[in-house]
Amino acid sequence: MDWASVLYLGFTFGLLVIFILIVWRTYQAKNKRRLEEPKHRMLDDD
Amino acid sequence: MSSHAWEKKPVLLLILATVTILVGTIFTMVLPFAWVNTEHDRIETVSPYSPLEQAGRDLYIREGCNNCHTQTVRPLVAEVLRYGDYSKSGEFIYDRPHLWGSRRTGPDLARLGGKYPDEWHYQHMVAPTSMIPKSNMPAYGFLNDNLIDPDAVKKAMDVLGFPYSSNDIAQLEGKTEMDAMVAYLQKLGTGIPWRKAAEVEIIGELVNPFPKEPTAIAAGELLYAENCAACHGEELEGQIGPELDQDVYSDDELFELIYVGVTDAGMPSFASLGSTKVWQIVNFINYRETP
Amino acid sequence: METVNYNYAIVRSFITWSIIWGVVTVLVGVLISFQLVLPELNFAPYLTYGRLRPIHTNAGIFGWGIGSFFALFYYMVQRLCRTSLWSDGLAKFQLWFFNATIITAAVTLLLGYTTSKEYHELEWPVDIMVVILWVAFAINIIMTIVKRREPQMYVSLWFMLASLVGVAILYLVNAAEVPVSLFKSYSAYAGTNDANVQWWFGHNAVAMVLTAPPLAVFYYFLPKATGAPIYSHRLSIVAFWSLIFMYLWTGAHHLLWTPVPDWVQTLAMAFSVMLIAPSWGSVFNGYLTMNGQWHQMRENYLVKFLILGITFYGLQTLQGPLQAVRSFSSFIHYTEWVPGHVHMGAMGWVSLVLFAAIYYLVPKIYGRELYSIPLANLHFWLVLVGQLIYSISLWVAGLQQAGMWHAMNNDGSLTYTFMEAFVEMYPYWWMRGVGGLIYLVGILVFIVNLIKTAQGGKPAPEAIQNA
Ligand code: HEC
Ligand code: HEC
Ligand code: HEM
Ligand code: HEM
Repeated sequence: MDWASVLYLGFTFGLLVIFILIVWRTYQAKNKRRLEEPKHRMLDDD
Repeated sequence: MSSHAWEKKPVLLLILATVTILVGTIFTMVLPFAWVNTEHDRIETVSPYSPLEQAGRDLYIREGCNNCHTQTVRPLVAEVLRYGDYSKSGEFIYDRPHLWGSRRTGPDLARLGGKYPDEWHYQHMVAPTSMIPKSNMPAYGFLNDNLIDPDAVKKAMDVLGFPYSSNDIAQLEGKTEMDAMVAYLQKLGTGIPWRKAAEVEIIGELVNPFPKEPTAIAAGELLYAENCAACHGEELEGQIGPELDQDVYSDDELFELIYVGVTDAGMPSFASLGSTKVWQIVNFINYRETP
Repeated sequence: METVNYNYAIVRSFITWSIIWGVVTVLVGVLISFQLVLPELNFAPYLTYGRLRPIHTNAGIFGWGIGSFFALFYYMVQRLCRTSLWSDGLAKFQLWFFNATIITAAVTLLLGYTTSKEYHELEWPVDIMVVILWVAFAINIIMTIVKRREPQMYVSLWFMLASLVGVAILYLVNAAEVPVSLFKSYSAYAGTNDANVQWWFGHNAVAMVLTAPPLAVFYYFLPKATGAPIYSHRLSIVAFWSLIFMYLWTGAHHLLWTPVPDWVQTLAMAFSVMLIAPSWGSVFNGYLTMNGQWHQMRENYLVKFLILGITFYGLQTLQGPLQAVRSFSSFIHYTEWVPGHVHMGAMGWVSLVLFAAIYYLVPKIYGRELYSIPLANLHFWLVLVGQLIYSISLWVAGLQQAGMWHAMNNDGSLTYTFMEAFVEMYPYWWMRGVGGLIYLVGILVFIVNLIKTAQGGKPAPEAIQNA
């Protein structure tokens, strides 16, 4: 493998990790109420 | 502590969004500058535009020709056959802005230079449908009425940093916008000597596959009207190109003239039509019913 | 609950003007589509196709698109933040400066002052006007969010914020140019670099103007129109970050097979395909919101506009990635197929969502109920049919054209000349023109309905106006 492929692979892997972290954090049970709250709040102003 | 969550901090969100946007930007927009237009791309024979050509280029932009015409030939078989050698990065280093375009309502113009004689362009720009009856290209006759402003062109050349002599500028006096446009069109794609390299050579003996056959003559008549009449006249009486009604060429001579063309004298090569169609035209020219 | 003094007047004014520019867009669109079949409709020098086409695209994107987003962002930001605008005066200035900019843009383009860069044709003095406009807008929105009284940030606000910075970065970088005179400049970049920067801009103009803002509108108005909350706010968050991350890598899918470095093209292709996921995240979110609500498709005309709109977005974001694949691009790039794609997005997705939002706002901005719901339904069917005729005829045209461009004989020569393929396009261009006319009639029905409403619709209950 040349250095470019290593770089590509490493970068792709890094992105994947960031993505998984975002999804994991967003879907943690303890965050559910907090993160879903805005969709109800936006409705009850009228 | 939910009130500290970044989901509720608009300024932080703005910064994070900006960083997110910049990642792809840096990789695909900033980084390529290290590859493109470097020594690696340079092509010896590519030269900057002359003052007249640059003036023409600015008119091409003003008229929005790029809304119907592209200027890049892709490395695809059919495309190279139709338009000529595919485009190289180094051919565009003097193009500010690029004029690659995104729509081919009309044909690609990247390899136009030298395809037609100047005379063809002067006529075509004034009245496209007089030469290509089914064309929908607008008529640009008004370019003949306006003169180029040499001072403005000089300023433009200075900004672009292209070389010119005071004589070049003096020569612009009295030139029309049409002169500039045609000069620009003739420059397109001539930065590399591709026409010489692409010249067709005929190998082996030529035999007319359908001598005097009426169907071939009829097909040839249609092909002639579409591809040749604009330059040689509807009745073969000659116009931009010489008259063809004198029957001076044998079948195989005629085939060779049409197939190979006389590219440095304004007669295009019609190899892309394929030999069958070229033979049909030959039969039409040599064996048509003459009134 | 304490009452907030919402500024609806500015919303109404921006809507009026965006509709006026929308009519200009469609009229010029119809004119240029007939110029392609009847070239005698070109009146040189000003009214030629080459000069009018950019007026059509700029009026569409800046006048109708961004003009409506100004209106709807100002509405949404006040409601979502439960506070009035940060500065009414600045918004008023922005309204007049917006019209001044659009008029200057139209006049300069007619005169032939153009940079030639697609969706960035405006010459440098007009560029500066656009920048002033955007800064005024961004400050007002951001400051309103900063001073908000509602702690929650609904996802629409996220999309709005992203588009504010996104457009700013894109526009400024692509605007780098060296002036020669008042209305002529040369790009700071040359050749292949210039092309790559331009399409990094061009595609992300699609992201930051024709995707993120209409998504903000969709996420807001679908729940409002149906009364049901969006299916998953968390899904919308994940889709948001993925979308704004991936879009920026894809510009070179407009430049496949050109001299742009291969690796840039490959990245663009890969990220374009990945973009299906976050795009469809929003589509699913919309559809799942409708769970148990599908009967509203029949009963509620707003829902029809919104759901058809998101459906066209879904189709658009499948077709787009397909076009970004090298082999398919070699086929349809430069053909009639592409305007078919563009107008499913522009006339379908963006415009349908905008129509719904404007109808929703009628009682608030006019204080009256909509004059006629049957007319709104008629409007819906006319624009839908007009757009389908437009897109479908051009997709077929594009495939035929591509087939003819690439067809080869056994001896390795081309089967068709350029003109042989060209003349086959005329019937499709006629059809497109007819589709455009039907769409135009639809827009006129919309306008008549709004004028009738403003003149004498049934007064809307106080509660609806102020809520
Ligand atoms: C409405 C679209 C349209 C616009 C705008 C347009 N053209 Fe064309 N052009 C065409 C079409 C279609 C053809 C093919 C038929 C023909 O030759 O007239 C063509 C052909 C040409 C050709 C001949 C190319 C060849 O290889 O045979 C040239 C040169 C040309 N155009 C130059 C220009 C210039 C310069 C401008 C701007 C001043 C321009 N065109 C604007 C549609 C357009
Ligand atoms: C762009 C204009 C143009 C087109 C189109 C064109 N020709 Fe020509 N043709 C010329 C010119 C110019 C010459 C003169 C070349 C020279 O001086 O040697 C010429 C020369 C010829 C000659 C040699 C005539 C002689 O007396 O020297 C033949 C034969 C010919 N063309 C046939 C055709 C045929 C057949 C077609 C259509 C398939 C065609 N040409 C299309 C411009 C054109
Ligand atoms: C995942 C999403 C999308 C992808 C991957 C995508 C991809 C593409 C590609 C590859 C092209 C170039 C076609 C060609 O010239 O060969 C294109 C053109 C275009 N697309 Fe999309 N598209 C997407 C969504 C959208 C949306 C939602 C719109 C909204 C209206 C849109 C508007 C346009 C426009 C205006 C052009 C024409 C650009 C030009 O050549 O001037 N696209 N798209
Ligand atoms: C009746 C409605 C419309 C008609 C008849 C129409 C017609 C046209 C025509 C003829 C073109 C040129 C296509 C070509 O290059 O061959 C075009 C391009 C374009 N139009 Fe429209 N249009 C309409 C509505 C709209 C709307 C509402 C918008 C935007 C919100 C829009 C945005 C665009 C864009 C972005 C392009 C450039 C496409 C490209 O580069 O491929 N159009 N339109």
